[in-house]
Amino acid sequence: MLLAVMMLASTVACNNLPGRPAPVSDVLRPSQQTDFAALYAQNCAACHGPRGEGGAAIALAGPLYLATVSDQVLRSVTTDGIPGTPMPAFGQSAGGTLTVQQIAALVDGIRKWVPAGAAEGVRPPSYVAGVPGEAKRGAIVYQSFCSSCHGPGGDGGKAAGSIVDPSFLALVSDQGLRTTVIFGRPELGAPDWRGDVPGHPMTDQEVSDVVAWMAAHRVPYPGQPYPSGAGKSLQGGER
Amino acid sequence: MTWLRNIANWLDSRLGLWAPVRDMATHRVPRRSASFFYVFGSAAFVLFILQIVTGILLAFVYVPTGADAWNSLQALNHGVWLGWFLRAIHGWGADFMVAVVLLHLCQVFLFGAYKFPRELNWVIGVCLLLLTLGMAFTGQVLRFDQDAYWGLGIGASIVGRVPFVGAVLVHLLLGGPMINGATLSRFFTLHVFVIPALLIGLVGLHLLLVLKLGINEWPMPGRVVRRETYLREYEEELRKDSIPFVPDAIWKDMVFAAAIVLAVMACAALFGPFGPRGIPDPTIIQTVPQPDFFFLWLYALLALLPPQMETPVLLVAPIFVIGAFLLLPFVAGEGEKSWRRRPVAVLSMLLIAVSLASLTSLANRTPWSPVMDAWSGDPVPRPDLQGRSPLELRGALVFQDEQCRNCHSLGGVGGQRGPALDAVATTLTQDQLIRQVLQGGGNMPAYGKNLTPPEVTALVAFLETLHPVGELPARNASQKEMENAAPLPPQSVR
Ligand code: HEC
Ligand code: HEC
Ligand code: HEC
Repeated sequence: MLLAVMMLASTVACNNLPGRPAPVSDVLRPSQQTDFAALYAQNCAACHGPRGEGGAAIALAGPLYLATVSDQVLRSVTTDGIPGTPMPAFGQSAGGTLTVQQIAALVDGIRKWVPAGAAEGVRPPSYVAGVPGEAKRGAIVYQSFCSSCHGPGGDGGKAAGSIVDPSFLALVSDQGLRTTVIFGRPELGAPDWRGDVPGHPMTDQEVSDVVAWMAAHRVPYPGQPYPSGAGKSLQGGER
Repeated sequence: MTWLRNIANWLDSRLGLWAPVRDMATHRVPRRSASFFYVFGSAAFVLFILQIVTGILLAFVYVPTGADAWNSLQALNHGVWLGWFLRAIHGWGADFMVAVVLLHLCQVFLFGAYKFPRELNWVIGVCLLLLTLGMAFTGQVLRFDQDAYWGLGIGASIVGRVPFVGAVLVHLLLGGPMINGATLSRFFTLHVFVIPALLIGLVGLHLLLVLKLGINEWPMPGRVVRRETYLREYEEELRKDSIPFVPDAIWKDMVFAAAIVLAVMACAALFGPFGPRGIPDPTIIQTVPQPDFFFLWLYALLALLPPQMETPVLLVAPIFVIGAFLLLPFVAGEGEKSWRRRPVAVLSMLLIAVSLASLTSLANRTPWSPVMDAWSGDPVPRPDLQGRSPLELRGALVFQDEQCRNCHSLGGVGGQRGPALDAVATTLTQDQLIRQVLQGGGNMPAYGKNLTPPEVTALVAFLETLHPVGELPARNASQKEMENAAPLPPQSVR
């Protein structure tokens, strides 16, 4: 009887010892990992911030952003990356390391950051440009909405840096510009579509126009020659 | 109870074991040698017994085939009641045994116990140390996980460097041209039959010699060992000032051995078994294989050696090191025993200990190998993003996307293959930064062909922001002139 009690006690105690290996230890093949937190921390945290709050790249956890963007976009961007920008392709189909299931887990987890209905009643401009933009009109939009921070010509002002720098524009997609104008970079002090001019939210058309205006500043050979002539003879090749 | 005694008496009358055992147990030891400094040998022996017992229990479940070894360890970890604890004790027992054997070696060395007449026992001891390390290595292979796989790969490549017979030796070691089930069978046999048999035999001999020659006396400065007089002096000391091993001296050994066994169990309970880590599949490259604790120093040494030094160091150094150990008692068989009078001995031991310790700690950080996930996993520190222009922010993204982070840390996070870049702008000018990125150099790849001009521009713009607040970035002369700036504080421009 006593023996039985002791056996039972020791079993219970032993099952709770800290050294006991967890049922799923780090023995998974990397391609079998489908835990969102682990996948996100390993693959996305560097650029989008540890909790999707934004880092060097735009936030993915904004409630308005998530209310607007479709699963389809999240999935395809993660799989194929955004060519020409530092957003890499993660899907195995595009030369990355993540399987279809892992990307589904990522999309699912990103969605769960924000409870459903968190953006109830707010209607941002549509994620995809609904109407074509026009650069000439965009210049005027720029003056009224953006110049207070980015300076009269867009090449940098008191509160923010240049958004017409050819090298910057060469490394950002039009959709990237649009996403930024709509949702801002609150963590860096860049306002969303409602905040540029308080009380005057930007319309779909205005967003398209200002993006067209920025895009019109792209030049054929951005970043050349290197400043102060350095590396003239070492000029790298095109990718 | 008389029947019990009758049986015992009957057995002893046939075997005649009692008298020699009693004599052995009560042999006299110098009183001052019954010290806590003299307990490492017996503790190593107790750990050896522990390893044998737990090893046999493990062998009941372990399947030494390439296909099932890893699974049988998983079964032990999760399916067998307290199987994980058994594995943990065996694993930690091995770590402790190596450590205690090394301590024993140090103590014997420092106390001059290898000197006349105990030379042979020192030689046997060195063999026991090598065999213990052999057990540690073969044991790690039996886990047959990724660490084992790569550890074997490294072992095989060391052996493969032996001139002329290298290839044959590798074939012999691995049981074929590659690491597979046959390899595991070989290491199982070595770990379970060959080395333990040698160990048991040599341990027996080792103990026999201790009994025969007596335990080393406490070294006193000025008491010099001479071949002609030593034995007489030792007898003299035993006669004048000694105690029986049982019961007067043994309790210290027992206390220490018990403490060590408890420590093994505590480590096992707290930290659990080692591995098995990922399955041994060479196609999985997202892995940082690491040898077990006692071989970490070797791993660091191999990583740090310049390539042209590897073969000489790997093949010649062990011969010299082991040779030096074996010859020691014959070269320094007489003279002072006390470490107070042997500065060279003490210093050389400290030197070895410090080198091993620093190599081990380096191996724990592996600053020489890039951190493979840093580019996508380690966030750019927030202060490096605040107040940056859109171009500089893109530069930070290019920095991550081009995997610079895998070799260069920011805010203490990231690879350590190259220098940390938190203050790079204070030492390098824009020109120098561009040149470094395009041309690489000194173990850094050249990125000239892989980056477009806007990427380089953004990257360098970002790098130029990396300087502590209040410290001005480095400028070159033309930049200075152009800006006609006020005199800059002195700074290093390379
Ligand atoms: C309240 C000031 C403010 C206003 C108004 C403003 N921005 Fe910005 N913007 C910022 C700040 C701050 C940043 C962060 C980068 C920096 O500090 O230069 C930024 C960054 C950006 C970026 C780069 C984002 C990135 O991910 O690199 C773009 C593009 C941009 N703004 C476009 C616009 C446009 C177009 C408008 C007008 C519709 C606008 N901004 C209005 C403050 C502002
Ligand atoms: C090396 C940096 C980097 C990493 C790592 C990274 N991203 Fe990105 N991501 C970017 C950049 C830069 C953009 C913006 C590109 C553009 O449009 O100009 C972006 C854009 C995106 C967008 C689209 C934003 C929009 O405009 O709607 C999504 C979705 C996204 N990333 C998801 C992910 C996920 C999921 C991961 C992890 C699997 C990830 N990213 C990892 C840099 C990165
Ligand atoms: C394989 C590892 C590796 C990668 C990847 C790498 N570097 Fe380096 N980097 C080094 C090493 C090693 C050095 C030191 C070179 C030397 O000793 O001259 C270095 C030096 C530098 C320096 C000079 C630092 C100083 O204080 O002298 C800069 C700047 C630099 N790297 C930037 C980068 C950038 C930008 C990238 C990405 C495009 C990058 N590195 C990628 C290994 C790497």
